[in-house]
Amino acid sequence: MSLQFVIDILSDLILLIGLFFVFLGMVGLIRMPDVYNRLHTTTKIGTLGAFGVMISLFVRVGFEPIGIKALTLGLFLMLTAPIAAHMIGRAAFHHGSSYGIDNAVIDDYKEACERLK
Amino acid sequence: MSSILLSFALTFMAFTLVPCIYRLIKGPTLSDRVVALDAMAMVIVVILGVYSYVRDSVFFMDVALVLAIIAFVGTIAIAKYIDKGVVF
Repeated sequence: MSLQFVIDILSDLILLIGLFFVFLGMVGLIRMPDVYNRLHTTTKIGTLGAFGVMISLFVRVGFEPIGIKALTLGLFLMLTAPIAAHMIGRAAFHHGSSYGIDNAVIDDYKEACERLK
Repeated sequence: MSSILLSFALTFMAFTLVPCIYRLIKGPTLSDRVVALDAMAMVIVVILGVYSYVRDSVFFMDVALVLAIIAFVGTIAIAKYIDKGVVF
């Protein structure tokens, strides 16, 4: 029961969590009915999935070039994936070709846009 | 055991590119295709990161970082194009 064994087990666990979230994102990309729902699931690939895999590499390697770059890459993906998802969602709303928003129960953003005009 | 798990991770990531291509071809609107491209770029970044550890080479991680930045800028540009009709 050395330290290296514990680090390997921890890294494998975090890697499996990241792979699980990538799998969930891909299932959502196929099965979800609407562009907003697909956006909701595929953002998990960027935040939890990629960040988990990169943290796993950082735990396994430590403070070496590969580990530091993996940590930087994970933080960058975690910061930029929600921004990109927000931009795509707003563009899909304004584009007007969104077939899922018609049977939505509540639509506050449309009212806010009409109030601003 | 770790090498088996890393090989499984690489194979699994390669197979998760198939749903992205399916949604890229079939997606009803332009936004669906942009979402699929964004997910595909993220999966490729993760593949490059894991492969950098398997090959024990730093350069694949540099390629992954550059690809992540370019995918983010491209997604923002396409979103602005869908929104307003012009990129800038």
